[in-house]
Amino acid sequence: MYEIRFHGRGGQGGRMAAEALALAAFLEGKYAVSFPFFGAERRGAPVRAFTRIDDKKIRVKTQIYEPDCVVVLDEKLVESEDVIEGLKEDGLVVINTRKKPEEIELSRSVRCATVDATSIALDKLGRAITNTAILGAVAKATGIVGIEAVEKAIIEKFGERLGKEMGEKNAEVARIAYEKTTVGTAKGGKVFEKKKQWLPGVDELPLGGSIGTLQTEAGLVGIGSFIENKTGDWRVFMPVVDEQRCTGCKICWFYCPEAAIKMVDGIAKINYDYCKGCGICANECPVNAIKMEREAIA
Amino acid sequence: MIEKLQAKKMVVTGDYAAAYGALLANVEVVAAYPITPQTLIVEDFARFVDDGITDAEFIMVESEHSAMSAVIASEAAGARSFTATSSQGLALMHEMLPIASGLHLPIVMPVVNRTVAAPIGIWCEYNDMLPQRDSGWIIGSIEDNQEVLDMVIMGYKIAEHHDVLLPLMFGLDAFILSHTVEPVEAPSSDEVADFLPPYKPVAVLDPENPMAIGTFTPPEYIQEERYQTHRCMLNAKKVIQEVTKEFASKFGRDYHGLIEQYRMDDAEYALISMGTVTGTAREVVDELRNHGIKAGLIKLRFIRPFPDEELRSIVENGNLKALGVYDRAISYGVAGPVYIETRNALYGFDLPLYNFLAGIGGRDVVINDVRKMYDAMIKGKEKKIVWINTRGVEE
Repeated sequence: MYEIRFHGRGGQGGRMAAEALALAAFLEGKYAVSFPFFGAERRGAPVRAFTRIDDKKIRVKTQIYEPDCVVVLDEKLVESEDVIEGLKEDGLVVINTRKKPEEIELSRSVRCATVDATSIALDKLGRAITNTAILGAVAKATGIVGIEAVEKAIIEKFGERLGKEMGEKNAEVARIAYEKTTVGTAKGGKVFEKKKQWLPGVDELPLGGSIGTLQTEAGLVGIGSFIENKTGDWRVFMPVVDEQRCTGCKICWFYCPEAAIKMVDGIAKINYDYCKGCGICANECPVNAIKMEREAIA
Repeated sequence: MIEKLQAKKMVVTGDYAAAYGALLANVEVVAAYPITPQTLIVEDFARFVDDGITDAEFIMVESEHSAMSAVIASEAAGARSFTATSSQGLALMHEMLPIASGLHLPIVMPVVNRTVAAPIGIWCEYNDMLPQRDSGWIIGSIEDNQEVLDMVIMGYKIAEHHDVLLPLMFGLDAFILSHTVEPVEAPSSDEVADFLPPYKPVAVLDPENPMAIGTFTPPEYIQEERYQTHRCMLNAKKVIQEVTKEFASKFGRDYHGLIEQYRMDDAEYALISMGTVTGTAREVVDELRNHGIKAGLIKLRFIRPFPDEELRSIVENGNLKALGVYDRAISYGVAGPVYIETRNALYGFDLPLYNFLAGIGGRDVVINDVRKMYDAMIKGKEKKIVWINTRGVEE
């Protein structure tokens, strides 16, 4: 059995990529399963999806903890988390980046394939949606599926949703990525800070899990979240307050699902460390004092 | 009526398999309200209607209570009816569930098993469905997406049998099936029509021939009516056997009735599993067998009616040294619901019976968790009700 873990951000199409890969394997006569891990999804949040491929029926229904291959759709994730955690010794990582494999720094040195999926997608599709390009790289680097099957799967899966022409364009994107993929070895040695986790026993957990906001020693924000784990980088659009217009009515403060708005001297102030850019505040503001502006893309 | 559909192999989610199963079963009315992770079922079926593949009536409703009310009405009018829900949605339907069973309306409903609040969670747990086991509904459980599609088709055949005439719900695990794609074989619409003829109701609401159902009923009658429903549920045992057998001969997939036994022939240690943990447990059983341990597995396919005779026969005629029951729900203050049912079925037998609570709130049940269950039985642990991987609680 061959197991693959996809790392991306909500809205980048990691789940579609994982499903299309399963379909490609199926079209080659293999058995394949694909599933997302659903957390607190929102566009921009780090998300994972999984694919299992085998010659016989796959019975195991757990998540994947020791993948043969890790696929990273957003290279910024390589900086912020240990994407190859649990990767098998002889495993492989496929990354969307302009860098060569030798320029990539990970927690340990592993076989690595890179492709500039973003540029290929921008060039052919006019959008930085990289989930089809990355599949071309996966086909090239792993050999677990042929590029022809990947193209067919993309035409079927994406064509169904986006129309035949877009399906074919996406298949072409995968083919170009397949040609342009470089396989080498990434550097190891990068140290990642362990994500803070609070896992109390039944006697430490407050009754019903009711947590006073920001009150615990670990700095819990809401159960399962922490002050240290900033979520501001999920944003695609950021709310900007026009202080001249703001009347201090507190409607945005009331509606903000992240409690990321504070009233300072009667004016709404956004806490960009935690604001996820949902835009509810801008939508609810009765005097149009909040505008959603495009985040600067690094 | 539906368009002619060819047999095909698909790679689809469990939710899609449920919607496609309803399409193949030629349901005439669908009323449903969306709730994560069931939403895809409603969306997929709505798309079939929109694409003109079926002319089924798709009723938009404002809640699950209304969804169940609507399909009760349409089923009473003689239309094969379908709905689906999950978690809080099923809780909201609760009031209407005994009305569907009391009126003997064979509605089929997938329930995407999800945690019930509070605290709120969207992941897999059976605390939504198992508390409904006294509602008069047949209740099934599913291992994979193929079984989802097959269960919808078999479900109508079981529920509509004139010795049964009870509604049927079956659970599929939130996300682990609902949002997972895997290969599913779909039979052609002709093959399904041949297996599942149109619904023949016993009594139909018809303006031309008015009839009263579910009217104000004094104590002189209700006790007998309750007994009738009880008898229908008992009859369902035989009908489930017959229908699964017929399904196997027609479509080549044998689900073995109320339970499926896996490597049970000479088993000394067995686990009763439910839902997707069954697939994972099969792997563990094979691994234990490779190490010379006589492990076996009993896949529970129905909790209503409960396979009490089947379990008694296994214990009576087999070599079991211990039996474990996996539960993804808790009946507070007692134990897991499937364990309670099993203990009741095996009353009088002198066999160590374990309860393993795991995966509650959607926690992943991994290979090692299932190994622990068999380990506890093999070691003959004193503690019989075991919470697996629960911080601060001794295993």
